[in-house]
Amino acid sequence: MFMAALILIISTALFFFYIQTVCQEILRRRFDRDYYKAIVHANRFEFPAIRKAIEEFNAPVDYARVRMTLKCDFLALTYLLKNACNVRPRLSREERLLALYFRATLALLALRHGLKLREQPVVLRLTAILQYFANVIGQRVNLVRFGDLTASDYLLDL
Amino acid sequence: MDAGIVVLQYTTYLLEAGLLAYLLLRRRAGRLSALTVYVGLLLAVDAISRPYFLYRFGFASPQYASFFWLTDVLLVLAAFGLIAAFFRRACAREHQLWRHIRLLLTVVLILVAGVSWFSLSQYYNQLFTQFIIEFQQNLYFTCLVLNTLLFLLIQKLALADGELTLLVSGLGIQFAGPAGNFALVHLTAGSGFGNVLYTYLGPLCTLGMLSTWFVAVARVPRTVRVPELGPQVAEMAVTVGRRP
Repeated sequence: MFMAALILIISTALFFFYIQTVCQEILRRRFDRDYYKAIVHANRFEFPAIRKAIEEFNAPVDYARVRMTLKCDFLALTYLLKNACNVRPRLSREERLLALYFRATLALLALRHGLKLREQPVVLRLTAILQYFANVIGQRVNLVRFGDLTASDYLLDL
Repeated sequence: MDAGIVVLQYTTYLLEAGLLAYLLLRRRAGRLSALTVYVGLLLAVDAISRPYFLYRFGFASPQYASFFWLTDVLLVLAAFGLIAAFFRRACAREHQLWRHIRLLLTVVLILVAGVSWFSLSQYYNQLFTQFIIEFQQNLYFTCLVLNTLLFLLIQKLALADGELTLLVSGLGIQFAGPAGNFALVHLTAGSGFGNVLYTYLGPLCTLGMLSTWFVAVARVPRTVRVPELGPQVAEMAVTVGRRP
C-alpha cells in the first residue's frame, strides 16, 4: 500500500514536470529576429513593459493589475494567432499546449499570491509565453508582402 | 463503447501511422532508428493486432485480455530498449560513462525481463487479478525512474540537444501517467474510478507522447543569425586581394 502511494505521488509529480519541460522546450525556440516588437508596437501590448520592470528594476508585482494586463494580452494574442495570416483559423497543437500552459501558470500565480510567495518568476514565465506567441504572429505576418513592404515593416512605420 | 474513447483511439492510430510515415519518408529513420522501430512496433500492436483480436474474440473474452496485457508488457520492454538508445545518444562523447551505463542497463534489463518472465509464468492463471495491476505499476515505474535518470544526465552533461530532451519528455509522459494510474487502481481496489480513468488516461498519454515526438522530429532547425559584413571584413577582403 505504502509503495503504491509513493508511486502515485512521484508519478503524478513527474507527469506534470515532463509536461512543463515540453512547454519550456517549445518556448526555447529561437527566431531569426525579434518579430514580436512589431506586433507589440502595433497592438500596444503591455507584457514587455512588465517584464522589463521585473528584470531591470526588480519591481514588486501589483497582482491585480499584472494579472488583468497579462490576461488581456493573452486573449488578444490568441485571437491574432487564430485569425492573422492563418489559413486555418485555429491554433496549432503547439500553440494549444502553450495556451493551456499559460492558463495553468496563471492559476499558479493566483496560488502563489494567496500563499504570499514570490510572484516574479511566474510572471516572467507568463511573459515568455506571450512573447513566443507575438513572435509566431510576427513571423507569419512578415511573410505577407504588400508591394515592397512586408506587413511588419508597415506596422513598424505606424 | 464510449464515443470519446473511440475518437481518442483513432486519433492515436492516425498519429502513430503519421509519425512512422514522416520518419520513413523524410529520411529520419536512419538517424532515429530505435525510435522508428518502436513507433513501428507500437503501430503493429496498437492499431493492427489488438483491433484484430478485439474483432475476432470480443472485448470481454479472456483471449483479448491476455493479448492486451502481454503486448503491453512487450511495449514497455521495447520502450526500455528505446531508453537505452537515448542513453547512448546522450553519451556520444562520453565513452567511459557509456561503458558504465551500458553495464547498468544490461543488468537492469536482465532483472526486469527475468522478473517479468518469472512473475507472468507463475501467475498466468491469475492474470486478471490484482497481480497484473501491481506488475504493470512496477514495470512502468521502473522505466519512469530510468527515463528520469536519463533526463538528469542530459541536464548534467548540459547537452544542447532539444530533440533528445523532447523525445525523453514524451517518453516520460507515457510512463508517468499510466504508472500513477496503476498505483491509483491498486490503492482504490474495488472502486471503478481508477479503471475508468485508465480507459482515458492511457490513450491520452500515448497521444501526448506521439505529439511531443512529432514536435521533436518535425521541428525546423534553429536558424542561426549570420553576422552582417562589417567594414572590417570589407577591408580584410581588400587587403587579401591586394598584390604585394
